[in-house]
Order: sequence, then C-alpha cells, then structure tokens
Amino acid sequence: MAAMLSIENLTKRRRSRVILSDVTFRAEPGRVTGFLGPNGAGKSSTLRILLGLDRAGGGRALVNGRPYRELRSPLRTVGAVLDGSGAHRSRTARAHLSWVASSNGIPRRRVGEVLDLVGLADAGRTRVGRYSLGMGQRLGLAAALLGEPEALVLDEPVNGLDPEGIRWLRRLLRAHADAGGTVLLSSHLMGEVAEIADDLVVISGGRIAAAGPLLEVTAGHASLEDAFFTLTGGAAHRADGGSR
Amino acid sequence: MNLLRLVAAETRKAATLPAVFAGLAVAVLGSLAVTLLNSVSVRNAAASGNLERVVSTSPVETVFAALPLGTVGAVVLGVVAMSSEYTANSDDAGGGRQITATLTAAPGRLSVLSAKALVTVALVAVSAAVTLPAGLFLARAVIGDAAAEAAAPGDVAARALGAFVYWSLTALIALALTALARSGIVPMVLLITNSSLVSFSLLLSNVTPLARYLPDLAGTGLFLGDDADSYTAFDLVLDPLPGGLVMAAWAAALLAVAALVLHRRDA
Repeated sequence: MAAMLSIENLTKRRRSRVILSDVTFRAEPGRVTGFLGPNGAGKSSTLRILLGLDRAGGGRALVNGRPYRELRSPLRTVGAVLDGSGAHRSRTARAHLSWVASSNGIPRRRVGEVLDLVGLADAGRTRVGRYSLGMGQRLGLAAALLGEPEALVLDEPVNGLDPEGIRWLRRLLRAHADAGGTVLLSSHLMGEVAEIADDLVVISGGRIAAAGPLLEVTAGHASLEDAFFTLTGGAAHRADGGSR
Repeated sequence: MNLLRLVAAETRKAATLPAVFAGLAVAVLGSLAVTLLNSVSVRNAAASGNLERVVSTSPVETVFAALPLGTVGAVVLGVVAMSSEYTANSDDAGGGRQITATLTAAPGRLSVLSAKALVTVALVAVSAAVTLPAGLFLARAVIGDAAAEAAAPGDVAARALGAFVYWSLTALIALALTALARSGIVPMVLLITNSSLVSFSLLLSNVTPLARYLPDLAGTGLFLGDDADSYTAFDLVLDPLPGGLVMAAWAAALLAVAALVLHRRDA
C-alpha cells in the first residue's frame, strides 16, 4: 500500500500561545490533498510535526502508521519541501543533492536525474546562495524527488515559481497522485489549491474548519473563495505571523 | 549501517563547505607560520649569543609553542560543522536553513551528532598529521645545529598524540556548544579568544585552584608532557592522563547535553 499520512488530534503550544488544537485529517494515496489556510493558521507547524522536525504537545502524526522519526530511510518514503531548498548557500545544487542522496543510500545517478527533472541541469554547479526564489523551490523539489518517495509533502510549493513553473508543478503532482502516490500540499492561495486538489483540508486559527473532497467542502458556496472565507470566518484578513 | 551513511553524508558536506578549508588552513598554515617565526628567532638568538632571550631553543619546543593555532583551527572545524546547519539562506532564495534538510533526511538526532563528531575528529586528525611532522621538519631545518635538542623521541611522540587528543576534544566541545547555541558566533568568539588571546581558565586559576579542572586547562598536560609544572608558576596543570580524562569527560557531557537538546527541541 502506498503511503498514507494521518494526523491525529495534534495539539501544539508555543509558550502560552495555542498553535494547533485537535488537528485531525488524512492524506490518502492516489489523491492530492490541499491544506489550505491563512498565514499563521498552523499549516507549517502541522507539516513540521509530521516530518519529525517539531514536537507535538499531544496527538500523533503518522506515515503508514509510524512516526516519521522511526523511518529508516525516510527520503525513500516521504519527500518534503519546507521553507526554501534546505541547501547551504555556499554549496552547489549538485553538492547538496549528493550529500542528501548518500544520507539515505540513494544511488548517485539520481542527482543528475532529478536536476534534469526540475529544470536545473544547467544550474547544478552554481552556488545555491546565487539562486532565485523559484530556483530554490525547484532545488527543494529535486531533493524531495531524490528517493522516489510514495508521498510528497510540500509547504507553499508555488511560492516564487513563475506561471510556467506552476503549471509544470501542477502536472508533476497530478502525475504523482495518478500513479498512486500521496500528495499533501499547503497553500494560502485558494486558486492554486482549487486547480489541483482532490481533497481539501481547511485550517484556521490552529483548528480544522473543514475537510473532505473538494466538491463537498465547497458545496453550497459560490466558489472556493466564498467557502474559504465563510469557513475561516474571514481570518485571512488578519493574517498575522508568517510561514516559517 | 545507518551511521555509516550519515558519516558519508557528513563527509560530503565537509568536503564542500569553504569554511572547513578555512579551519584546516588556520590549523596547518597558521601553525607552520608561527613555527617558522619562532624558529627564526631561535636561530638569530643563537647566532648573536643571546639564547636567554628565547624561552626554549629546542626545535620540538618551538613546534609545540605554535599549538594554540592548531587549537583555533580545531575550534573553527567544530563550530562550522554545526553552525552551517543553522545559517539561513539568502531571502532571495527563500531563506531556510540546512538543518531542515538534515533532520528530514536523518531524523535520529543522536546519529546525526555522532556522524558530525566522527567527521570533525577525522578532520582534526588530518590537520595534526600534517602540522606536527611538517612543523618539526621546518624547525629543524631553520634552527639546524644552532641549538641542541633536549627532548627524547618517545616523549615527543606522546606529546604529539596528546596535542591531537587536545585538539579533537576542543573541536568536540565547540561542536556541542554550537549545537546548543544554534549559531556559531558566540562559541567561535568565546573559544578562539580563550585559546589564543586570554585564557579565561588561567585567569580564573588566580582565584581558585579548581580552575585546573576546566576543560582547556585540564587537558594542557596532554601536550606539555610530564614536566608541565615547569611552564607555570604553580602546581596547576594535571598530569597528561588524568587531565586528558577530565577534558574528555567535559566533551562527553557537553555532547550528551547537545544530543538531548537536539532530540527535544523544535528544529
């Protein structure tokens, strides 16, 4: 069975501030799950807990029923893109992907393959510090695809991509899900999510406001945008904090 | 198996990080430059018959007098192994830090820290293996017959090994402190100042003899050898073995704390 991502009753506090309260949802194989919410709603925190980067106050986040931290070669199961490429600025893309590959026993030939795949073949020997935002996103995707994982977890992946890049990404994610893979992507851009998601999870103020197939969540609303503002109580207008 | 992969990954990281080469350059070229300067002054002193102007005329002592630069190099190697994880990328490239990539690739914090420690010690070993023999060769070549060599070969070998252990433990302490601080700036400034300009432990030893158990002072015997007390006014320096063990205990304790904090703290 392909990787299922399940988030169960997650809670998280930072000092006295509640970041997440009782967040529960799933991302199923063969489907693209859009994780939608205003900035500061708890999207990144949820994904960081799922990837074992941050600790939950309560609840659990599981990949195929196991916490991420227990996976032996995690990059072969889950590929993730969080803030930026995760590459050190003084390294080249090739050098970055090479160490990532060796950390999970991934063959070196994959480095060239993923660079081709994301359109960075000509920039593989450029220092990452000289990359544009869009190139950084592409490099992050290259690292995520390195281990040919069943699941992709992407935090705001269209940030910095040009229209052509967005279209390319959309096709890539669609193809991944159609091949039976799991895709979970967060965004604060409703249009992007509406274009690609099969399932929708709407988060607002650290709570899940709605979850289900796209058409079910938006039923009774004129558009996803209407549904979003109704569900989040206009929270998008008081966008506080940032995506970390 | 998993640890081997992580050691391979950390080796690749080190081999492609410019700051690592800066650390190696300080350790190797810095030490050799100081050794050269010291050797020239010993030779000049001998030539002019003013041998009382220099601390020691022995080529071996001249080499060991340059050790603080090796310590500085070790500090740089230990610090950058960890601080590079927390350096933010430029905002233009989306910000972000390497620690995210590192911990998603290898979620076991203890394994990551162990791999970093092993690679750091290997780099220190490389710098020691180059610096000490090259320094000795340089000092002998410059000083020549101008001064007699007092040190016995076995003693020299033991002190060279001690210097490598001292550098390694210093690098590991730097690594642990940087992991705790999540930034290289404070550990770098603190440890470089302490090992080159002002030894805080030495200052503190004026207040309390307990200062001899602080890591840097405790390990001093490792490279000073058995007659370490001839270098200091007081019976301050521990013997090589107990001193080395005290310093190793510091390094182990700090690494354990760093592993625990990495395990619990949000990345």
